[in-house]
Amino acid sequence: MIRRVIPTWLFFALAIAGVSVLLVSYEFLSQRQTRINPKQTTIPSFEKLGEGVKRMFAKQGTQENPKPPMFWNDMRATLWRLFIGMGIGVLASVLVGVLMGAYRWIEAPLSPIVMFLSKIPPTGMMPIYFAIAGTDQRMFTSMVALGIFFSMTQSIYQSVRDNVTDEAINKAYTLGASESEVIFEVIWKQILPNVIDCIRAQIGPAMIFLIAAEMVVSDAGLGYQIRMQSRVLNMNIVFVYLLVLGLIGVVAEYSLLWVRRRLCPWFEGT
Amino acid sequence: MKMRFDTVKSCSLALCTVAWFGTFQGCTDSKPAASNAAGSTASPTPVNSPAAVNSPGPVSAGNSTSKPATFTLAWSEYPSWSIFGVADEVGLIDGKEGQMGSIEKKYNVDIKLVLASYDSCITLYGNSQADGVCITNIDILGAAGSRNSVAILPTSTSAGADACIVAGVNSIEELAGKPTRGLEKSVSQYCFDRCLEKLGKNPADFPFSQMDPEQAALAFQGKNDGINSIMVWNPFVMQSIRSRSDAKVLFSSETIPEEIIDMVVLGKDSLSKPGGDAFAKALVETFYTMTQRMANPKTSDETLIGIGARFAKLELEDMKTIVQQTKFFSDPNDAKRLFADERFQKETMPLVSKFCVKYGLTTTPVELSYGDAKGLMDFSTKYISGYAESQTK
Repeated sequence: MIRRVIPTWLFFALAIAGVSVLLVSYEFLSQRQTRINPKQTTIPSFEKLGEGVKRMFAKQGTQENPKPPMFWNDMRATLWRLFIGMGIGVLASVLVGVLMGAYRWIEAPLSPIVMFLSKIPPTGMMPIYFAIAGTDQRMFTSMVALGIFFSMTQSIYQSVRDNVTDEAINKAYTLGASESEVIFEVIWKQILPNVIDCIRAQIGPAMIFLIAAEMVVSDAGLGYQIRMQSRVLNMNIVFVYLLVLGLIGVVAEYSLLWVRRRLCPWFEGT
Repeated sequence: MKMRFDTVKSCSLALCTVAWFGTFQGCTDSKPAASNAAGSTASPTPVNSPAAVNSPGPVSAGNSTSKPATFTLAWSEYPSWSIFGVADEVGLIDGKEGQMGSIEKKYNVDIKLVLASYDSCITLYGNSQADGVCITNIDILGAAGSRNSVAILPTSTSAGADACIVAGVNSIEELAGKPTRGLEKSVSQYCFDRCLEKLGKNPADFPFSQMDPEQAALAFQGKNDGINSIMVWNPFVMQSIRSRSDAKVLFSSETIPEEIIDMVVLGKDSLSKPGGDAFAKALVETFYTMTQRMANPKTSDETLIGIGARFAKLELEDMKTIVQQTKFFSDPNDAKRLFADERFQKETMPLVSKFCVKYGLTTTPVELSYGDAKGLMDFSTKYISGYAESQTK
């Protein structure tokens, strides 16, 4: 029967079984590949993955001039770019999205542009970003920020139009609220959970743009290292980096859910 | 009952997933299996047995009754490698799987051509997704760390085709401390470091940072901020010089003659598969047939135009320059001389080996050998000699 409840213990047992099947079949494939080519690095064994992790955290540079381990260096570069880019993108799109939803005379000139530009994949616009923003932090920031800006503005503005009823706004006006009070106390509070969900939905695309850009031009970062290590065929490091990318996504997802629960407890049941 | 049905369904889903992973992984070793399977559908008896020879069976192209095995060659756009793309156009080989050109028919082997960017080719080859690859003598050492390899054919050597192009930098002294963009830990950085060494400088004073060569060339041509020095190969060298009046070559692979060798390399595992020998012979013959066309005044221009079309859409005049900067090993004897050359074996390759260890392409120096197949990376003249002999007969 569809949606039939299963006992909790069974749910968890099946979840564990799923992961174990994945791990066991991975080990099986790795061993099979090793039988074909003993030197293979395509599907590294768990032991090789461990070696990869060791190399990721190994000290770099000389004693007089120590450099941070490869992994931390890459993580710092990528997370910083992601954080700054998303921060600017989110702030800008909230501002523009709310204004577009609130005022028809702002909505009219901007909505066709926003709608059109949100459809162009930012990875395709990479050469333009290089040409305009160079190859440094500025390029990564503008790529991530603009990459999420248009589609996020689009959905925030939709959310203002759909989730905030005319009744709520009229009620606030009747009770003597000023225009800014309507925006902050009525509109903003109503759309906040949608904004958080929007950010959640944009982490994936933002990562795609950033990793793609890092693969093309960068000296550090997860994308750079994935391309470099796959060219020198250290798949054991590539796999661990992919795992880390997955973990970053999961952590970001759950922290935003937590934030939403804290900020908008009223939203949860609906 | 229903519950059980659900369980069965989810189990089969899980099994499907595993099976899917299996097929994905199967690509890597499917070639021998596929060729065997194909062989057995054509005739259930072993191919060499008299029964197979006598059986009328389904006669495929060529004179053998077995269906030819398929081998993959990964190549990227480069003058002496684009030759394989042109060979496909003129019908010597057909790059599509299951289709045969004239040389493929002669050797009864099916060659599949895969065009990809240079570093994707290395990844494909190193992970056994391709049987052969067009690669330089520098990058192959990294790949040989995970797959035993044999270089069967040197195709050309870079004599100016890899170059450091600058704008607003007047001398090598001025370049110190300014970043140069290019493919890090690869032939580009090798050329960069070696040229600086030969010119009496310390490479450590010249920062080199990673950028995709095509994108670096585009950014340089677009006069982007901070990109005033790039280390790239052709066609990017020529395009970059052309598009900016203030661009000039600061130094190039002319400084290090016969150190950068462009080659065709096969995996030892692929070479030992049934049909592997034929694959190597067919590639060698294809290459020399094409270089003869280039040398022949009647077909020379037409062939160069063909290569130009498969090489960044360059015109005839440009191609004539390109061929100057990339010296083809058009003569099998010249190719044999190179692999046997004292300097190549005792100086160049040890330098390359040192470079690979220094930049972490390999953790330990790769064991090299020259013709006796003992090393993990062997430079073999077997197929070149075989071709040369077949020509003198």
